[in-house]
Amino acid sequence: MKLDRDVYIAGVGETRFGKHTSDFDVLGRQAALQAMRDAHIEKPGIVQTAYVGNVQNGIVTGQMVFKDLGMCGDLAIINVESACSAGGMAVYCAVKDVATGTADISIAVGTENHSLTRQAGTAFAGATGDIETMQGLVFTGKYAMRANRYMFETGATPEDLAMVTVKNRRQATHNPHAWFKGNISIEEVLASRMVASPLTLQQCCGISDGAGAVVVCSREMTKNLGIQKPVKVSGAVVFSGPYHNRPRDLTGDDITEMAARRLYEESGIGPEDVNIIELHDAFTIAEILYYECLGLCRKGEGIKFLRDGESTYGGKCVVSPRGGMLSYGHPVGASGAAQIASCVKQLRGECAGYQVEPVPAVAMTHVTGGGMSGTEHAACTMHMLTKAWQA
Amino acid sequence: MGNEKAGKKMGQKEKEGEADITFYHSDLVEVPTDGSPPFLKGYRCKSCGQLDFPKLSICPGCWGAEFEMVPLSRKGTLYAFAEVFLGQPGMTYPMTIGYVDLPENIRIFAQIEGKAEQFNCNDAVELTIGTIRTNRDGLPITSYKFKKAES
Repeated sequence: MKLDRDVYIAGVGETRFGKHTSDFDVLGRQAALQAMRDAHIEKPGIVQTAYVGNVQNGIVTGQMVFKDLGMCGDLAIINVESACSAGGMAVYCAVKDVATGTADISIAVGTENHSLTRQAGTAFAGATGDIETMQGLVFTGKYAMRANRYMFETGATPEDLAMVTVKNRRQATHNPHAWFKGNISIEEVLASRMVASPLTLQQCCGISDGAGAVVVCSREMTKNLGIQKPVKVSGAVVFSGPYHNRPRDLTGDDITEMAARRLYEESGIGPEDVNIIELHDAFTIAEILYYECLGLCRKGEGIKFLRDGESTYGGKCVVSPRGGMLSYGHPVGASGAAQIASCVKQLRGECAGYQVEPVPAVAMTHVTGGGMSGTEHAACTMHMLTKAWQA
Repeated sequence: MGNEKAGKKMGQKEKEGEADITFYHSDLVEVPTDGSPPFLKGYRCKSCGQLDFPKLSICPGCWGAEFEMVPLSRKGTLYAFAEVFLGQPGMTYPMTIGYVDLPENIRIFAQIEGKAEQFNCNDAVELTIGTIRTNRDGLPITSYKFKKAES
């Protein structure tokens, strides 16, 4: 979007991710309170607009989150849904309010209790009532087809794919918010049960619960609140999935490529300048495809990029430094906001135990959403975040 | 399965006691009663000529609203496939799925008959008809699928 005035992130919050017995509203409130306190807000009546991303927990989810905080009333709460992109899209909406002057300070929350709402033993489909869903498509199957085609075209192996889980879990080792973390071997990843060939269980994001929250505001408001380390939103884009039922290249991703191109143009920052990325690593193959789609490496060279260590500490760009969805699990409506929260903490140098060194100055987030027939994904939300203070 | 069942949507039940073979949607696939092979139904926009499957309410190219039905090729190429071990309620697993590219430059997602291990990307496949899932009442829903092409 065109940013008519500068927008800054003043505070972020994220819960522990994993299976929770608390429902989405409790999780959302935890993250929202953390984000507001992080932004030096200690009472209701300061934040002017709110956007809440959620997918599966019913109606008026945002009001459920904010009512106990005493914030319902003149706070305009708008609920946002676009499958896995919902949380990222909520942040986009909050950014838009500040950029346009609709509000000087806004909060976005992504929250989901996924495990309480899913029938055990079933997988998530991309759209309700869609023809491909009716014929049997689920996300695990779609990414498995991508993986098979990618291996067919490039000669990549299941071992190559498994390296993504190994890397992301290792990066998450000391992250208190991550669920699955620590050492796992390629052999263990491949020996876990098959979900959709060639993707084994340990190559699929877990069905988890959690929430992330982001407070955005104007430059003046960062001063009023006394924010020492404001993070600038240097770009924010939302795309909807281009529809056609012609053959397309499943080893690419049209919507991600379009969104990335626009984000690079609008922010004036290219892939070579991005220090860290949280992307939609819902499955191992996804992270590899997105290295290529985001321009971190050339097409067909994703495995090489991974093998050469370019996507981990010490590499060109640390991808999924928090451990990504492969470590957090993927509570669909929460992930996009949690990615941004984690990136902000990395930029501020607050990630003890999993801090990227040198402390990054530029972070990018990418989250796709849903998938209808004739599209790769129904939505894609991306943000570019930059350090906006002098060390 | 047959033409007389076409037009019924998922979830509609036959009269009590009658065998129920529910067809997903009659706009998608034709199973001729004369025994000739089934075919998928493409729709060509009468104003701009764009060919689509499935039938759309309006042409996304020009917003034309009139279409002529065009039988699509019964054979195509398996662009990508996977064997799925866990999925939606009402379906049988493991299941082979795939994207099939037809010569008309149209891609179809469908279930593929047979174990995944016997397939490779770019294999020739052909249309067939079979049960894709059961509805909420546990009754079978019949629709299009693909299988390895007979050479």
